[in-house]
Amino acid sequence: MSQIDRKLPMAVGKKVIWGSGILLAVFIVLGPVYLLIKYSISDVSSINTGGEPIPLWPYHPTLSIYSYLFSDIRFYRVLMNSIIIALSSVGLSMLLGVPAAYILGTYRIPGRKTILLGIISVRLFPDIASVIPIVQLFINLGVHQTYLGVIMAHTLLALPYVIFIGIGAFESIPKDLEQQAWVMGADRFQTFVKILFPLAIPGLAAAAIYTFLLSWDEFIFAYFLSLGREDIFTLTLYLNGIKYAEPQNLLSAISVCLSLPVIIFTLMVQRYMVAGVTTGSMK
Amino acid sequence: MADVLLKSFTKRYGSITALENFSLEIKNGEFVTLLGPSGCGKTTLLRMIAGLETIDGGELYIGGRLYNNVPSQKRKIAMVFQSYALFPHMSVRRNIMFGLKINKIPQEQINQKLEWVVNLLHLKGLEERYPREISGGQRQRVALARALVLDPDLLLLDEPLSNLDAALRETAIEELKRIHHHVGKTILYVTHNQVEAMSMSERIALMNFGHLEQYDRPKVIYDQPKTVFCGEFIGSPPMNFFTGEIHVESGVTGIMTNIGYLKLDSERANKVKDFNGRKVVAGVRPQNVYFKGHHARRRHTDSDIEISVELIENLGDRSLVIGRNKSGTLIRFLITRDDEIQIEGKMSIFADGRQIHLFDPSTRLNIFH
Repeated sequence: MSQIDRKLPMAVGKKVIWGSGILLAVFIVLGPVYLLIKYSISDVSSINTGGEPIPLWPYHPTLSIYSYLFSDIRFYRVLMNSIIIALSSVGLSMLLGVPAAYILGTYRIPGRKTILLGIISVRLFPDIASVIPIVQLFINLGVHQTYLGVIMAHTLLALPYVIFIGIGAFESIPKDLEQQAWVMGADRFQTFVKILFPLAIPGLAAAAIYTFLLSWDEFIFAYFLSLGREDIFTLTLYLNGIKYAEPQNLLSAISVCLSLPVIIFTLMVQRYMVAGVTTGSMK
Repeated sequence: MADVLLKSFTKRYGSITALENFSLEIKNGEFVTLLGPSGCGKTTLLRMIAGLETIDGGELYIGGRLYNNVPSQKRKIAMVFQSYALFPHMSVRRNIMFGLKINKIPQEQINQKLEWVVNLLHLKGLEERYPREISGGQRQRVALARALVLDPDLLLLDEPLSNLDAALRETAIEELKRIHHHVGKTILYVTHNQVEAMSMSERIALMNFGHLEQYDRPKVIYDQPKTVFCGEFIGSPPMNFFTGEIHVESGVTGIMTNIGYLKLDSERANKVKDFNGRKVVAGVRPQNVYFKGHHARRRHTDSDIEISVELIENLGDRSLVIGRNKSGTLIRFLITRDDEIQIEGKMSIFADGRQIHLFDPSTRLNIFH
């Protein structure tokens, strides 16, 4: 049905309204991106114009600020730190979250509601309130001021979402598919590996993207946990350290570098988020 | 050898009893249908045999072996779900091979079996397609292929045709009969559709409210319904039922009912001649009621009933007439489409005395059988 609907011709008036709406949305989304990129490739005279209006496009576009940034060994380290911590957080939260989601999503467990409430309660408090006790705990555990500490903190923040998104992913798989696999001789583990996990991948990919973004963006926990260890600082902390630096082109360049990996990671994982993978299995 | 024996099965959900003391035996290679209205427990029974529901009471034997505590993975049973449950992320070929791979069958044999089943079920050319890319009828065949390829002792089919349109269902019925004839597997088929059951099965287990009403060949169930329910459920249009009492007077035996007087044939009359005055429920199929114009059908045992025509439903080759007598009792019967009758017209009909079924009003059992 939907395929046929999509092919129906649209009235011209409707087309104009939709078209301008989409243009406006694109402008709102891409406007800041444009400013960011523009500033990052601006020469100094296009920023400090001395009273002249700032030009829409720099007088002399230059990548000099990038070459400056990438010649700075400190920036490399910070970038690597962010990547290591974000990917590790994704790995750890998937490792813990997917089995939990599978169990909670497919088995009838006594006290399931209480467990779910317990899991989500981690996120009931504002980060700023929970950061002090957690840092205290991590100091006692000896993971304070380490990669592992920050990774654990980010996993802690992402895990409730990973579990909830994962439960949704497993619950949306028809029970018949699982039972069909059993009747055909598959044990629970084989059923999980060959049937349930592949079918849950779209949902789990969404959870992975979410975790990556969360870790990449996270400031408060990273700040308190790596305070005093500049060598494990992430990009957000680095940006915080130079926020008063002039001119804006350095900050913009760093922001562009902050955004790029997110876009790349999302594009990579997004192809697994195809809607309607279970189409055709039933009826 | 895989005779199937269900011994006093019981299944309870809390205080609700889904199955009560249900027994059934199926011979090796037999095609048996579990037939009954929705909620009668037939799917539950199938799932218990498949090992997807626990057996709360009773014993399950397949090929003489007790199966109660064998997990579904280890039962030599294949099942086709009502939804087909094809794995959406696998091609037709991988769907069919799944069970064989899981059971660690050598690749050479897998290829042979695949070849065999693809030809048997006309799936050639579809092997690399995904379930979403094939039609409903093809999905049904893939689901069947996936089950057959496992070479099960018992094949369970849960309403496999209910998602097909009428024309496709006809073909699928023929196909299933052909396959059963060809592979000779024991098949237990669940449906609520009496046409499917009548046309395919060697024996029908007619179920109602979690117990067995009658278990026999389709023809026997049709000709000799054991209970009121059996008469009601089998046959289309449904059987007419009238309450009344046996009336024996000067050697003529019949039943005085709320529709009118139904005379019995001599064989039936003989059986009930000592029960003058006994209350009964009389069942007459619409096919066995004729209107007076049919002189050829008329026999001396039949007696007339006066009715007025209320509705006429055109069934194509015949018409179903719904009539009402003076006291307001309804009767359904069939006429040929050449018979000219008018709505609200008066007419005289008679029931074939040899085809009247008598049931006890309290036990609901057929008093002849």
